[in-house]
Amino acid sequence: MPATRSAAGAARKGPKRRVLYVSLPDQADRICSGCETCQLMCSLEKTGAFNPKKSRVKVLPLAVGVTIPVTCQQCEDPACQKACPEKAIVPHPKLNLVVVDEKKCTGCQACVGACPYGIMAYDPEKKRALKCDLCEGNPACVQYCPSKVLELAGPQRSAEINRRRFAAVLANEDTAARNNVAGAEQIKTLPRTLTLLAAQAPKAIAEGGR
Amino acid sequence: MAGKKGSYAGKILRVDLSSGKVEKRDLDLEFAHKYIGGRGFGSRVLYNEVPPEVGPLDPANRLIFTPGALFGTAVPAASRTTATAKSPATDMFGDGHSSGHWGSLLKSAGYDQLIIQGAAEKPVYLWIDNDKVEIRDAKHLWGKSNMETNESLLETHGSREIGTLSIGPAGEKKVRLACVFSDGIMGTFARTGIGAVMGSKNLKAVATRGTGDVGIADIAAFKKAYQDYLQVISVDPYVPPATKYGTCRFMYHRVKFGIHGANNWRLGDFDWRPLDPEVFRSDYQIKASACPMCPVRCRREYRIPAGKYAGTVTKLEWETIARCMTCGVNDPEAVIYFSHLCNQYGLDVEGMGDTIAFAMECFEKGLISAKETEGLNLAFGNSDALMEITRKIAYREGLGDLLAEGTLRAARAIGKGAEKYAMQVKGSEMSAGDPRGMPVRAVSYATSTRGSDHLRSNPYVEELITPDEGLQHFGSREAADIFQGIKGKGKLLAWSENFVTIGDLLGLCKFAYYRSATFGYLRRKGVELATRFYNACNGTRLSEEEMLEAGERAFNLEKAFNVREGAGREKDIIPERFFKEALAGGGPSNGAVVDREKFDLILDEYYGSRGWNEKTGLPKKETLEKLGLADIAADLQQRNRLG
Repeated sequence: MPATRSAAGAARKGPKRRVLYVSLPDQADRICSGCETCQLMCSLEKTGAFNPKKSRVKVLPLAVGVTIPVTCQQCEDPACQKACPEKAIVPHPKLNLVVVDEKKCTGCQACVGACPYGIMAYDPEKKRALKCDLCEGNPACVQYCPSKVLELAGPQRSAEINRRRFAAVLANEDTAARNNVAGAEQIKTLPRTLTLLAAQAPKAIAEGGR
Repeated sequence: MAGKKGSYAGKILRVDLSSGKVEKRDLDLEFAHKYIGGRGFGSRVLYNEVPPEVGPLDPANRLIFTPGALFGTAVPAASRTTATAKSPATDMFGDGHSSGHWGSLLKSAGYDQLIIQGAAEKPVYLWIDNDKVEIRDAKHLWGKSNMETNESLLETHGSREIGTLSIGPAGEKKVRLACVFSDGIMGTFARTGIGAVMGSKNLKAVATRGTGDVGIADIAAFKKAYQDYLQVISVDPYVPPATKYGTCRFMYHRVKFGIHGANNWRLGDFDWRPLDPEVFRSDYQIKASACPMCPVRCRREYRIPAGKYAGTVTKLEWETIARCMTCGVNDPEAVIYFSHLCNQYGLDVEGMGDTIAFAMECFEKGLISAKETEGLNLAFGNSDALMEITRKIAYREGLGDLLAEGTLRAARAIGKGAEKYAMQVKGSEMSAGDPRGMPVRAVSYATSTRGSDHLRSNPYVEELITPDEGLQHFGSREAADIFQGIKGKGKLLAWSENFVTIGDLLGLCKFAYYRSATFGYLRRKGVELATRFYNACNGTRLSEEEMLEAGERAFNLEKAFNVREGAGREKDIIPERFFKEALAGGGPSNGAVVDREKFDLILDEYYGSRGWNEKTGLPKKETLEKLGLADIAADLQQRNRLG
């Protein structure tokens, strides 16, 4: 695969890895409202029709009043790519991420089962795997999120967000809870794109609020 | 289904629970563009299929669920589904509207409407899995709350990606105040006792999985309209308090006018401070939630952290707070818990609040004895009694069995003049704020086609127009005068009714489209953008006037339904209390009554501008024909019910 490698290698010299950040703790209003606009806008952008099943971002309801958008983590060493028997998950020519080559994909769904974040989607009509490609650097989900919960961040912004989260945890647990920040322990183990599972309204979940 | 060009799914699904027959029929696009969807589809089918001989709880009554025409697309706040049936509360036209996921899943499964007829012999639920439709045994679900039913169905069908409709125990017991709920407690088809219709059919739930696309004709036009919509809500001062407080924000509106209607619609002012929106926001709110696709985010779920209701998590809207005040209750935790009970039992908080307030006043006046309440102290403000009587109504125990019939029927059974304490219109309990001092609001409660209802007419338009706008659009500067105006008010009301009906046809939320701080923003969202969204999604070229006419058509259909049931001008009336008893308790509207003379003058103008007979309130033949309802005009003529 020398040809593709050199193309990707060239891109790496440009803008560095960019990731989708979820649920910024900046202010209380910037919490996922569960409206699912991101899902339909993703499917519209990618398929020209509305269908949450074909969305690359999924809004997960955890309890009454608690929802989290789960996005592709654009892993450094993608499990989906490793699982694919057809080598149909290939580097994006410009961005530092992998994408599904629809011509090679046979719809076996090996990647769907392998993704540790459960975010590889599947188009039942075309019988093809669906993976987030950050819409060429301008994701529809980010553009249309009314709560401004989703953000495409480069390394500087990533560092800033991570620092703020961590500082809030250090400051005190209450602030952390109020700002929907995961505990320090969780931060260590979270994937690079911080999808803060169980970070919203942690008490409601703990008590099985229904 | 790929490549579908339009927001219609293309099929109508009909299930006969008596015979078990399932029928799928193609949607006629001419029908679709005439009646648009949602309430328009539901009203037309109900008129066609449920004649006056059919009682609301008869198997022959229809239970019709129709997602709005734009539900399933990403049009902002297009998340409403209409449930239509002949109402057990009013014995007339009935419907309820709800957000939730179920409607979009029905569309994804390939259907624009679900019509349920007949009744099953034993409890069943309906499982719609794309093309596959099954009537399944629901013995294991009977008796369960809405939340439990939803969870159980999610478990059974192995996926969180299904949508459900369900009734709670109250619907099973055919309580006339029962609702149908969407996706647990996500949305409520609240008014007119639709839950009792579902219960009478032995139908506990409908679970739906759909994986198909909802199409769109013109993506560029859609995106342009989307940006324009966001632009309007970014500058409309109406929006920020909604996002900040949810519907609790309406407290400030009620305080401004002093129209709480506390203690069974007697007090204009009331000790409302414990229920300040800020209390709910800072002490109980989990976060700002949204219905599908909504950028306004006024949904709220609350959690009670400590005390006797500790751990309660539920959804709550403004009307629950208002109706608790009707029962004299001003403890926020009791309000949240009352909402929780109603959600779990499957009851309409508005009907419940008024019915219990009625019982409290009867208890106060000695028309209901302590023996009849089985020792329960049904005093205004007693929140424990509120909870207990709610349970009794849900399960039809003791006095609850009587109250489960709703205020009007309960009052007639009690006799002894109790009827004057029953605050209802056409048999459906009051909602929203007290109409005393605000004549248009009073008339709007009377003219609503589903019994007392503020959402049918949106009487708030008068509060945000300028005298010039009143003259320009409604023929009189008086139209902008909330308290004294008469001229132009009837015209304003008719326009406003047609206007908000558009939202119910398209499945748009009224808070996101049909409320604004100015008339300009209001028309921009409710007519211009609504029409543009419809055209973008469906490749049609409806004008704004045609869209308003579609609203007028649906409203006339419902009116015709009620007229066929025997209702005329005499039914377009509000409770006597509003005319005769001055609003008490202090506040800006203290001492106000609804002036009967003004009420009648506005009603005359209203009928006139609707093209109905001013004396009888019956629609004229030419009015119905102009709206493309000639067959209905002929039907009413045969029955001698034309104006």
